[in-house]
Amino acid sequence: MKVFKTDIAIIGGGPAGLSAALAAAKAGARVDIIDAGFLPGGQYWMQDPTGAPPLSDQVSEGRDAIATIRAAGVTIHSGAEVWTVFPDLKIGANGPDGPFEIVPRAIIVASGAHDRVMPFPGWTLPGVMTPGAGQRLAKLGGMSAGDRVVLAGSGPFLLAVAETLAKIGKPPIALIEAKRTNAGILAHMARHPARWREAARLLATARAIPDRRAGWIVTEALGTERVTAVRIAPIATNGVIAHDDAEVIAGIDALLVGWGFRPMIEVTALLRCRHEYDRAQGGWFCATDPKSGRTSVEHVYAAGEVTGIAGSVPARLSGRLAGLAAAADLGFIGSDPAAAQAEAVAKLMPARRFAYGLGRLYAPPESLADLAQDDTVLCRCEEVTKRDVAAALDAGTQAVSGAKMWTRAGMGRCQGRVCGWGIAEIAARITSTTPEAAGFNAPRIPLRPVPLSVVLEATREVEA
Amino acid sequence: MVAGADVIVVGAGVVGAAVAEALSRTGRSVHVVEQGLPGGAVSGASLACIGTHMNDEEELPFLKWCCDEWAAFDAHTPTFEYDRCGQLRFLKQESELNSARHWIDVERNAGLAPELLDPAEVRRIEPLLTGPIHSATWSPNSAVVNPFLAVRMLLETAQAQGVRLTSRAPATKLRLKGDRVIGVETSAGPIDGDHVVIAGGPWTAKLAATAGVDLPIVPRKAQCLATVSQPRSIRTVVGACKAEGGVDAGYTQIQQAMSGQILFNTVLEGGVTAHGSPDAVPEVDRAFIRDSVETLLFLFPSFAEIELLRSWVRYEAVTPDDRFLTGPVGPDGLYIAAGDGGVGFCRSVGMGRIIADQIEGRPSPFRTDLYDPARFERRQAA
Repeated sequence: MKVFKTDIAIIGGGPAGLSAALAAAKAGARVDIIDAGFLPGGQYWMQDPTGAPPLSDQVSEGRDAIATIRAAGVTIHSGAEVWTVFPDLKIGANGPDGPFEIVPRAIIVASGAHDRVMPFPGWTLPGVMTPGAGQRLAKLGGMSAGDRVVLAGSGPFLLAVAETLAKIGKPPIALIEAKRTNAGILAHMARHPARWREAARLLATARAIPDRRAGWIVTEALGTERVTAVRIAPIATNGVIAHDDAEVIAGIDALLVGWGFRPMIEVTALLRCRHEYDRAQGGWFCATDPKSGRTSVEHVYAAGEVTGIAGSVPARLSGRLAGLAAAADLGFIGSDPAAAQAEAVAKLMPARRFAYGLGRLYAPPESLADLAQDDTVLCRCEEVTKRDVAAALDAGTQAVSGAKMWTRAGMGRCQGRVCGWGIAEIAARITSTTPEAAGFNAPRIPLRPVPLSVVLEATREVEA
Repeated sequence: MVAGADVIVVGAGVVGAAVAEALSRTGRSVHVVEQGLPGGAVSGASLACIGTHMNDEEELPFLKWCCDEWAAFDAHTPTFEYDRCGQLRFLKQESELNSARHWIDVERNAGLAPELLDPAEVRRIEPLLTGPIHSATWSPNSAVVNPFLAVRMLLETAQAQGVRLTSRAPATKLRLKGDRVIGVETSAGPIDGDHVVIAGGPWTAKLAATAGVDLPIVPRKAQCLATVSQPRSIRTVVGACKAEGGVDAGYTQIQQAMSGQILFNTVLEGGVTAHGSPDAVPEVDRAFIRDSVETLLFLFPSFAEIELLRSWVRYEAVTPDDRFLTGPVGPDGLYIAAGDGGVGFCRSVGMGRIIADQIEGRPSPFRTDLYDPARFERRQAA
């Protein structure tokens, strides 16, 4: 097995990871990035492996960032899944050429975000997916999730997906946003003039969608073999879903539903970093010192969405700060690190305020967790219904981990990555507590399923 | 203030649940307090083998009773994936034969029916066990259960008889009046009780110490691995022959859960005594992963490309002679049932019966001296 000794290992090659890599490499540290994608870039700077002309400035921006990183001498391990990080910081990964190990002096976790999925009747039908998945299909080779796509959920990301779909010639036929545009959203936008241009562009995209609703929610996906229609209902001002006023949009072949993002805390949780909970930041996130990205665990740093959902601008800035700090803590001091730090911090704070404000304003409606019916499957891997989970909670298990023990919800192949957020929200609703109190299932080794032959090769004594 | 009870059971693992269930049959009012979630600490992480094979010679009659009791629960409430699948214990080399024959003799004398099988006979029972073993013992009466659902079944059976359960309420202190226990302090408030049974696994000694009782129970790290779900690939519980000495002597248990996940662990000699705190559970060790995967693939070479899905760690409660501490201890009204040594699942129902008999003042059908919490002091005095 190959072993790479390095100063700083960065897990995740999105905007945060690449920015961290550049800052650390420029300071003189040896840097290795481990990234699951065919090419680095993450979701935001996703590169099309077919080499098609860039769909957006994001793609060319990412391409430039990757070129800069390579020029700076950073080693990029693409197509590699990290399956473990041991307490001594040794990283076990499995790549296209088999298992390898990285032995770093410090780790920067830039693992990104995952769509927040809420189970509802019909959500397991083929053709129903997350906006993030729809965006990925479009960015990787220009494929659309369907010819007649309905985009639904909440948050500005829906507009970004609408824009991408329009660019590949498949603009959505309907946009169902749960939040009504209100004074709060307008006031928030008014306070951040730097974002007006982007907002205007996205709103222009939205205006081209024939059926636009604000204050409506998808209550059911309909179809037998795959999704062919969707039931939607208005949300009353008191937050209650007015099922009596529901309508059906028929003749669709794809439904993208998402409720924003949650931080991917699997690696930081495995390393026992301290985590905090904030709904506006996507739920559980890795707590860091904002000026350095230092976590509660020595030699472990975090940057980007894993430190709280805030989008690509804070991801780049927090990445740069974590890169600078990790390098400096190892004795690699570039030119004027204090000034570089001060500049990034000065930009990071307002960018995060903007994002957290949006996170609060576009918080999913409380009644969202009531959409699932008794026979709705909550955990797809183990086919556990809401009835099963409710019975376990009733019988005294109380929390997400208890529901898992008694029903296997979250015990299957995805280990709760897909359903964990939704089950926490539903459990909180059933037991009259908060999603924070309902907790989450701690990740364990391995972070992703990995063949036993790989595990054996990776755990046999290796020569460093 | 929580309403009082005749008996407070501290801990809703399988032992606490079994104690509560046994007591509920006496008509006494019982209140179970659990610091976390039922079965959520040690019990749920168990591989929950119900059997008599290669276990403890002196405990054999007790173990037989426990196996029958579990079968009776399954006949009455078949909700916990009880599967009487039998158990194979593989031998790697001829030098282990003496030990295997010894156990077969002991168990046959007790009316059980284990036998020694050659590799071809083993494969008739376990077709994918194609690794180069020397032979294996076969004990047809062993069963496995889903540990979470077994705890749930015991608790729900008890609750149907009026037992109360309070989860997420750590018991912090025993309450005493003179030389008698009168209840416990919990994070949910004090609870009055004429008797208190501590079935707190590795946390038992800490609570007992609040009444000045010093118990020789220490926590020991125990680890396990699971693969992603597979079609039916393993039919039995597969373990290593309990051998004296030998290069590879250690503990192995491999089985396939009803979910299809293959659960497995191997702890080689010398790797079992890592102490630590059950309050800060770490990850599995690298050497443990290696030994477990190596053993699994030695026995089942065709599993090499199956994916590992999950690992977990728990702290089991260990006593100096690897037997439970079960019975009255310290001030009047205080009982304990703890010290599973990693093999408590099967025994839990018997421990429930012992405690219920003691509180009721009934004679026990078992050799309770084996579990007497004061046995070490007596030995020292003698």
